Amino acid sequence: MAKTPPMVLNEDEALELLAFLITAARTQLDEASEYGSLRLLTAANRLGDAMAERVSPATRALLTGPLRKVPELAVRTADLADYTAALDDLCRAVGEHLVGHFGVDRSVP
Amino acid sequence: MTGADAAPSAPNPVLAAIRSRRMVRAMIDRPIERAKLEKVLEAARWAPNAGNRHLHRFVVVQDPLTLRVLRMVAPGMFQRPAAVVVICIDQGRAVSFGMRPTVKGLYIDVGTAAQTLLLAAQSLGLGAGVVTSFSQAAVMRVLNIPGHLSPEMFVCLGYPAAIQPPGMRARTRVTWQSLTDWERFPAGDDARS
Repeated sequence: MAKTPPMVLNEDEALELLAFLITAARTQLDEASEYGSLRLLTAANRLGDAMAERVSPATRALLTGPLRKVPELAVRTADLADYTAALDDLCRAVGEHLVGHFGVDRSVP
Repeated sequence: MTGADAAPSAPNPVLAAIRSRRMVRAMIDRPIERAKLEKVLEAARWAPNAGNRHLHRFVVVQDPLTLRVLRMVAPGMFQRPAAVVVICIDQGRAVSFGMRPTVKGLYIDVGTAAQTLLLAAQSLGLGAGVVTSFSQAAVMRVLNIPGHLSPEMFVCLGYPAAIQPPGMRARTRVTWQSLTDWERFPAGDDARS
């Protein structure tokens, strides 16, 4: 019988994140557009905080390493080139982690 | 022979495909036959491109796990396609022709390739939708895309679901007449520029 994967979020934690995302969608209408990325990263960090103790060592390394490198209040208008590069680095790390975690076959068919 | 006597004009399949094509954002769980995919790709080979230089490469993904991971790094991918054609610019070859990476022709040709893929898919009974909202950095890692190629657009392919989510509404009603001026813009029409 297949093992049920462990839950990494309880209902309260999931609701907290859900509420954050929904309200951020609304508040974004009244805020500077640069807050879009900021809010999304805040959500990612909160999700990471909730998950960190319950996930595999490799996922924990992603959550505590590359995800933490982008400062919490960074916005693109401060330094667009640096901010873009930082987010690209983070996306690259996420891509690499997903390949390893899900076992994507990158060999040429 | 009067207009009333003239035989009705034969249907124009190209115009029919153009007129009936829609972005498809819901697809059923059915693989696409290899022969059909190859026909779609062969159409893209004939897409117009500047100087006939063919500065684009296509990466076709059908593996369900890889598609699932791609969707994780593509916020614009609503659909769960049976295949994705990733249109990449070969920046390395572009440089060899003395072209800067920002030259608009490279991106115009992504569009012509995409439109050709979309119409070919439509003609074969497939649904298709484009995605430009994805992380290039993550996609390059997931698909092992080398540094001299830049992934610019996904064309998602699959058999369309019977019920589609509502599309993006045009802000105002659009007709070809509202989009067109003849010969030149009207003098003094600053409000439109």
